[in-house]
Amino acid sequence: MDIAGALSFDHLKFLAAGFKVTLYIAFISIILSFIIGVVFGTLRYAKIPFLSKVVAVIVETIRNLPLLLIIFFTYFALPEVGLKLSPSTAAIAALTVFESAMLAEIVRSGLNSIDKGQKEAARSSGLTYIQTLWTVVMPQALRRMVPPIVSQFISLLKDTSLCVVIALPEFMHNAQIIYAQNINYIFPIFAVVVFMYFIVNYCLSLIARRLENRQA
Amino acid sequence: MIRFDSVNKYFGNFHVLKNINLEINKGEVVVVIGPSGSGKSTLLRCINRLETITDGELTVNDLKVNDKKTDINQLRRNIGMVFQHFHLYPHKTVLENITTAPIKVLKQSKEEAEKVARSYLEKVGIPEKANSYPAQLSGGQQQRVAIARGLAMKPEIILFDEPTSALDPEMIGEVLDVMKALAKEGMTMVVVTHEMGFAREVADRIIFMDQGQILEQGKPADFYANPKEERARLFLSRILNH
Ligand SMILES: Nc1ncnc2c1ncn2[C@@H]1O[C@H](COP(=O)(O)OP(=O)(O)O)[C@@H](O)[C@H]1O
Ligand SMILES: [Mg+2]
Repeated sequence: MDIAGALSFDHLKFLAAGFKVTLYIAFISIILSFIIGVVFGTLRYAKIPFLSKVVAVIVETIRNLPLLLIIFFTYFALPEVGLKLSPSTAAIAALTVFESAMLAEIVRSGLNSIDKGQKEAARSSGLTYIQTLWTVVMPQALRRMVPPIVSQFISLLKDTSLCVVIALPEFMHNAQIIYAQNINYIFPIFAVVVFMYFIVNYCLSLIARRLENRQA
Repeated sequence: MIRFDSVNKYFGNFHVLKNINLEINKGEVVVVIGPSGSGKSTLLRCINRLETITDGELTVNDLKVNDKKTDINQLRRNIGMVFQHFHLYPHKTVLENITTAPIKVLKQSKEEAEKVARSYLEKVGIPEKANSYPAQLSGGQQQRVAIARGLAMKPEIILFDEPTSALDPEMIGEVLDVMKALAKEGMTMVVVTHEMGFAREVADRIIFMDQGQILEQGKPADFYANPKEERARLFLSRILNH
């Protein structure tokens, strides 16, 4: 083991650059997939003729594919039809597609978990379907969804490491480059990798717990 | 004001309302009783289209409830509803519970809606709870908030579906008192309840339902003293014996 060599200034700088890419890709994907997930989950919940069925088929299909396949697809298959994406765009696209489907399902079941009486009380007071959804059902459902949504965000952050297969210069990718030079670097570098993933994801869990407690 | 004309309703193959003919006039207080599962809630819920009828005609203020041309939200703002389990919005304060529909539906300003809400909270006897959340209130208080929420829309009709059945006995009185006051002010009310004291004091008419049919109707004094139908007699003896 060569701790000093593994954790040289240049190596740490290189790791930090990778970590920044991981955070950046994860952050953009989280924002996009949250928006799309809420929209798709709501459309599925609303049982709009035809449209809800279409959304259901899309969501179920994506949820049942391995994320790795979607990443390969966006980076290697799309250029075949003339859509060439950079590794980071391909990564964001793949993660967003996959996580949107996962979140849509969380949102749908969150909406379904709200007592039917809430909707009936709101509708019988003259509120429209949309007003009912927006002011009565959705706010209650979102509070209930915080824990599963945050755990989905945590897996998203970890899943960015799969983008190593398309040579996205993210955290795992850069770590690999360093320990590939020297077998004695493996353990120290792994320790840093574990530590960094843990710190960020632990912070996310703490935020989730805070949000949960606030509603209680 | 409310008129059922040969109304039938099915849930799938199950015939839940059978040839209902019923007219309820402005200012009338009608109490609906009958065994569990006889269709009382369904009858009530058809009036504001929480359930749709299968055939026949149902009108409120001469508007066909199930007509596509009828603006259902317009109709509903005129019909308050109070549920057995209150259904207050748990994420909103008492004041917000009451002002949501007046602000969103009647387009009242927040200040105006809050002023109205406070006056109704006064009326139901809990002005001090304006900023509490439903979970901080007793069942009786929650139901009174639900009534205030209904009243804030200034409806012409209020439907009550077993408003005291989920309450501890010591809280039933406070809710019934509010309802009695409303009845005496001339509100049109359709109330599913087995509270005989309430029915005797303020109801204009009792409707007895069994297996989806209206079996008997009458003035409370006559009905309770001398029900004509055997099944009504049986039912009354059962609720009186406990
Ligand atoms: N949404 C529904 N789908 C199917 N059956 C229902 C539904 N709602 C009520 N029912 C049935 O219709 C019958 C009448 O119900 P309800 O009107 O709630 O009776 P009550 O209020 O008199 O107890 C019951 O047998 C009940 O099981
Ligand atoms: Mg009922």
